[in-house]
Amino acid sequence: MTAVFTPTSLDALWQVLAAHPNALPYAGGTDLLVKRRAGLIDPPALVHLGRIPALRGIRAEGDWLRLGAGCTHRELLAEPRIRQALPVLAQALATLGSPPIRAMGTLGGNLCTASPAGDALPPLYVLDADTEILGAGGSRRLPIRDFIRGPGQTALGAGEILSAVYVRTPPPGSWHHFEKVGLRNALACSLVSLAALIRFDAERRVAEARLAWGSVGPTVIRCPAVEGRLLGERLTPAVLAEAAQLARQAVQPIDDLRAEADYRRQVAGNLLLRLAGDTQVERFS
Amino acid sequence: MKIQLKVNGQDLELEAPPDRRAVDLLREELGLTGVKEACGSGECGSCTILVDGEARLACLLLAAQLEGQAITTIEGLAQGEELHPVQQAFVELGAVQCGYCTPGMILAAVDLLRANPDPSPEEIRVGLSGNLCRCTGYQMIVEAVAAAARALRDQGRSA
Amino acid sequence: MMLEIGQAAPRADARAKVTGAERFASDHYPPGLVWAGVRRAGVPHARLRGVESQAARAVPGVLAVLIARDVPGTNRQGIVHKDQPVLAEDLVRHAGEAVALILAEDRAALRRALALIELDLEPLPPLLDVDAALDPAAPSLHDRGNCLLAAEIVAGQVDAAWADCAVVVEGEFHLPFQDHAFLETQNGVAQLLPDGVLTLTVSTQAPFRDRFEIAHALGLDVLRIRVICPYLGGGFGGKDGATVQCLLALAALHAGGRPVKMVWEREEAMIAGYKRHAARLRYRLGALADGSLHALDCQLHFDTGAYAHLGGEVMELGLEHAGGPYRIPHTRMRGWAVYTNHPIGGAMRGFGVCQASFAFEGMMDRLAAALGRDPLDLRRQNALRRGDRNCAGVTQVHSTGLVACLETLSRQPLWRERRAWQAAAPPFKRRGVGIAAVFNAMGYGRGLPDAAIAKVELTSAGTFRVYNAVADMGQGNASAFAQIAGQVLCQTAAAIELVQPDTALALPSGSSSAGRTTYTYGNALIRACEAMKAKLLQRASLFLFVDELASLALLPGKVRHMPTGRDLPLGRIAALLPEADRVSIEQFVMPVAQDVPATGKAFLIGFPHVFFAYAAHLARVEIDELTGKVDVTDYLAVTEAGRVLNPRNFAQQVQGAVAQGIGYALSEELRLREGQILNPDFARYLIPTSLDLPAIQSLAVETVEETGPFGMKGVGEVGVNGPLPAIAGAIEDALGLRLHQGPFKPQRVLAGVGQPGPVPGERP
Repeated sequence: MTAVFTPTSLDALWQVLAAHPNALPYAGGTDLLVKRRAGLIDPPALVHLGRIPALRGIRAEGDWLRLGAGCTHRELLAEPRIRQALPVLAQALATLGSPPIRAMGTLGGNLCTASPAGDALPPLYVLDADTEILGAGGSRRLPIRDFIRGPGQTALGAGEILSAVYVRTPPPGSWHHFEKVGLRNALACSLVSLAALIRFDAERRVAEARLAWGSVGPTVIRCPAVEGRLLGERLTPAVLAEAAQLARQAVQPIDDLRAEADYRRQVAGNLLLRLAGDTQVERFS
Repeated sequence: MKIQLKVNGQDLELEAPPDRRAVDLLREELGLTGVKEACGSGECGSCTILVDGEARLACLLLAAQLEGQAITTIEGLAQGEELHPVQQAFVELGAVQCGYCTPGMILAAVDLLRANPDPSPEEIRVGLSGNLCRCTGYQMIVEAVAAAARALRDQGRSA
Repeated sequence: MMLEIGQAAPRADARAKVTGAERFASDHYPPGLVWAGVRRAGVPHARLRGVESQAARAVPGVLAVLIARDVPGTNRQGIVHKDQPVLAEDLVRHAGEAVALILAEDRAALRRALALIELDLEPLPPLLDVDAALDPAAPSLHDRGNCLLAAEIVAGQVDAAWADCAVVVEGEFHLPFQDHAFLETQNGVAQLLPDGVLTLTVSTQAPFRDRFEIAHALGLDVLRIRVICPYLGGGFGGKDGATVQCLLALAALHAGGRPVKMVWEREEAMIAGYKRHAARLRYRLGALADGSLHALDCQLHFDTGAYAHLGGEVMELGLEHAGGPYRIPHTRMRGWAVYTNHPIGGAMRGFGVCQASFAFEGMMDRLAAALGRDPLDLRRQNALRRGDRNCAGVTQVHSTGLVACLETLSRQPLWRERRAWQAAAPPFKRRGVGIAAVFNAMGYGRGLPDAAIAKVELTSAGTFRVYNAVADMGQGNASAFAQIAGQVLCQTAAAIELVQPDTALALPSGSSSAGRTTYTYGNALIRACEAMKAKLLQRASLFLFVDELASLALLPGKVRHMPTGRDLPLGRIAALLPEADRVSIEQFVMPVAQDVPATGKAFLIGFPHVFFAYAAHLARVEIDELTGKVDVTDYLAVTEAGRVLNPRNFAQQVQGAVAQGIGYALSEELRLREGQILNPDFARYLIPTSLDLPAIQSLAVETVEETGPFGMKGVGEVGVNGPLPAIAGAIEDALGLRLHQGPFKPQRVLAGVGQPGPVPGERP
C-alpha cells in the first residue's frame, strides 16, 4: 500500500513534501501511474496535486498569459483565449492522447514528464514560454528550453514543483501551424512533430520564423539555421526544400521501436514542405 | 482511509487503501462490474467513467482522488427501466457486438454529447477516439451516437 | 416483437450489455476467492534446471506455489497435438512459457510472490525463423522434430503447364504475427465443489472440448468437469483451446475447495496468448494469353511458434485457399507449419487464409499488369462458379456467389469514378484504389465431424428456453438462435430465453470457430424447434380432442384450433406435460465434400472443405507524400454468404472483420527480437481507433445455400482477408510500389513515395 496525499493548498503541499521527501507528485497520473504499474518507478508515497487551486486557472498578467500547471489539456482547449491567441498550442493539445487522457492530463505533467515526444512542448518552444518553478522557499522563472534538460529530466530540484507556464501572445496576424506524425490518428506517440509560428510582412515575406521539432532529439529542437534561411523569403517549395535540408542536418533522431532515425530525419525536413504558400490553411491569431 | 463520495447518485462512505485503483474499487467493493478493464494503462478507454460529468479513466484514478467526487458508471445511466437515449440507440443500431467496450464507449459518448449536442460524424469519431473497439469497426457506434444526438435534440434534452 | 428471419432485429443481449448488467467471465468474484497467477520463463529457449520458490512461499497470503511435478496427469494440453506443458518441465520453448503457478489471498501478495520466484535457466540459442528451424542441424524443439506438419495439395500437371503460359509472374510475401487484442483478456474462475465436480466459468470458445483438455492434462474424469461459458468480450480464435483452463483447474485442486480466479493482464495476454501465424509465401503463377489462370506453384511457410495449437490446421486451410477463389487447373501448393521459439501461432479469424489472400491477390494484380488487363475483369473471368473445381480440385457443389460480388462491385461509384477521384488528390497526397477477391471456408472440413446438438425446452410458463451450446463471443449467434427459434416456433422475442453454454445443461456442439456456429447449431436448432412444434401440436390435439393435426397452428403463446378459434395457452400445455416431455433435442452434422481428390494426404483433419463465403473488396487510400502515412478513406465489402438472416448482424460481422484486416494492413504486428515481444501492450501494439478507419460499407449478395439454416452460410471470417491485398493494391495504384510485407507502415511506404510514381490514371 502506498500513501497518497491530496493537499488542498500550497502550504499543505510543502508540509507533505518536507515530511516525505521521496514522495512523487502527480496530477493527472496518465504518465506517472502508467510507469508505476510497469514497475519503472516505485515511490514510497504519492502526492496528488489536482486539488490545489493555486495551480489551476488561466489569467492575464501584463503581456503574459499565465497557465496554471494544473490545467488539464481539456480545460486549455476549452479556453477561448488559447484557441484564439495561441492556436499553435491548441492544435498540439488536440492531438495529445485521447479525450479522457486530455481530461485528466495536465500541461504541467506534460512538461515534467519531459518526453522528447511531448506534444505540448514544440508549441511552447516556439512561443518562447517561461516556466515558473515553485518551492517552499519561493519561486523562480526559467525559459522552457532551460527547464527541460534532457529526456525525462527537468530543472526541478528537491521539493520543487512546476506551478505555471507563461506565454506571450504573438502579434496579431501571426501564422500558427502544428503537425504531428504518428502511427495512428489517436492514442499515438509522436514520431516527428513540427510547430511553426511565422510572421509575414506586407509582401508575404517572412518577417520572423520560429520553428520547433519534437521527437527528433533528446529535447525539442529549435533550428536557428532554418529560421534564418526563411527570413525575408516567400514560402515557396524551393525555399522550403532548402530549409528542409538544413533541418535534416540539425535534428538528432534515434532509432526506436516506433520509427528509425532515417525516417524521422527525412520527415522532419518534409514537414517544412507542408508550409508552402499555396497550401496554407488560414490559421492566424 | 475513509472516502466519502457519490456513486450513481448514492452517497457512500468507503474504507479503502488510498492507492487502490478506482476501477478495482468500483468493480470489487461496489460490485459495479459494468466498469471494465482491458489494458490498465489508459490506452483503451474500457474503464471510462464520468467524474463530475467528465469522462475519466478509472484505471488511472486512485481512491484518494475520489474524495468528494460524484461518479457515474454505466449502471447509473438508465433511469430505472428507461434506457438513456445513447443506450437505446446502441441497442437499436447494432453498436453492440461483444459488448466489452460498450460501457466506456457509451459514457464517452454522453460526455461528448453534453459538450457538443450536434456533432458531425468526424467530431463523433474524435470524441470516441480514446475508446478502442475490436469488434465493430466503429461504423455502427458512430451512427448510434448521431441517432442519439438527434433523439436528444428532438426531445429537447441534454445528454 | 416477433422474431423473424430476414429482420434486422436488435441483438438479444444488447440491453444487458448497454446497462453493464451482463456478466462476463471476468465479472465473477465469488466470495472467499483465491487469486492465481503464472510466472513465465521470460526467455525464448532454455533448459529449465530448477525453480526456487522458498522466498515466494514466505510472502504472507501465499497459499501455494506449484510447478510441473505438482501436475497430476500428463501435464500436456493441446487441441489436436497435446504438446504443450501446463507447467514447463525441463525445457522452455518460448518466452511466455508457464513455469510456476501461485495461489494467493490477494493480488498484491501474488505480484510480490511472482517476482520472488527464481528460475534456474540455461539459455539455449533460440530458433527464430522457419529456415533456421528446418535446418537439419537445428536442435529439435519437439520429439517430431521442428516440422509440425508438411503437406502438399496437387492438381493437374503443373510442371508441364508452364509451357502453355503466355505470362508467368513470381512473388514472395511476408506477414508478421497478429494479436487478437480482444478487450476481455483470457480469464476464468474455477472451483472444486464438495460433490467433486470441478466447475469453471471461463471466457472460452470451446467449453465442451475444454473439459477434455483439462481431463487429459490433469488426469481427471472428463464427466466430473463442468464449464460455464458466458458471453465473451471477444475471442476471434484466441480463446479456442485451453488458455487459463488447465492452470485454473490445477489451482482449484490446491485451493481447499475455494474458488480460484485468474485474469491475464494485457501484457501477459500478449506474451502468453496465441497469435495469428507469421508467414512467408512464395508464388509462381502463370496464365494463358486470354487471361485464364493456368498454373500455380507456391510454398507457404507458417511460423507456428513453440507449440502446435492449430498450426497444422491453419496451414491446411491456407493451402486449400492458396490459389484464390479461381479456376486453376494445374497447381502444386506446398505448406509447412514449423516450430520455432516464437510465441504460439494458433487460431485467428481468417486462419491461414488471411495470409494466403495477401499473396494470391497480389499475384493477380501482377498478372493483370503483365497481361494489360483490367484487374477486376481478370478476376471476374477466372472467378469460381458453382460446379467448377477449385485450385485443390474440389468441386463447388454448393452456393458460390463470387461472380455476383465482383459484378456488384464493378457497378459501384467507388470503382467507376476512381480515376476522377484519384486525379483530384489534394496537395501532398497521392490517391489509389485497390480491389481483392477473397473467400473463406466454413466448418471443420473432413476428418472431424462438424456437429451440434440443440436443446429447446418449453418452460412451465409457456415460454421457450434455448440451450445455446456454442460460445457467443460477440458474433451474435445467440441472437441468431433466438431469431431462428422465433421464426420456427412463431413466438415473440419475449417468449424466447437464451441460456449461454453450460456443459451441464447443453449438449456438445463443437467450438465457436470456423464460421460454423450459426450454420451447424442453427440447423440443429431448426430441427429441435420443428420437433418441438410437432410435439406441441400433437399434445394439443390430445388435450383439445382434435383429430387432424393440420387444423392446429402454433402461435405466440398458444396453440389454436383454426376451424373453431379455440386457443390452448402454452403454459397450460406445459403444466400438462411431464418435464421430460417438454424438451426437444436434435442434432445436425455439416455435410462434407464427396469428391476428395487424391492429394493433401498429410492432412488428417480439414482437407477438403466444401462451403465457402465469398467477397469482393475495394479500398481507397490517400497517402501523404511527406510522411508516408496511409489513410483508408473508403472501404467497400461485397459479401456472399447465402441468405442473410439478419442484415444488421451480417453487416456487423463484415465491418468488424474488415476493421481487423485494416489493422493488420496498416499498423498491427508483433515486434520480435531474439524471441522477445517488444510491444506487448496497447501503447505499442496498435489496433485502429475510431479515427483510423473509414465508414466501412457492406453490401450483401444473396444466394441460397440449400443446406444452411434458412439458406445461410457462415460469414464471420471472409472479411478479414480482403484489406491487406486491397490496400496493397491501392498503394501500388497510387505510388507504383507493391508492398510485399505487412504492415504498410509510414516508413515502408515513404520509401516508395520517393520513386517517381505513375501519373494518376495511368497504370504501370
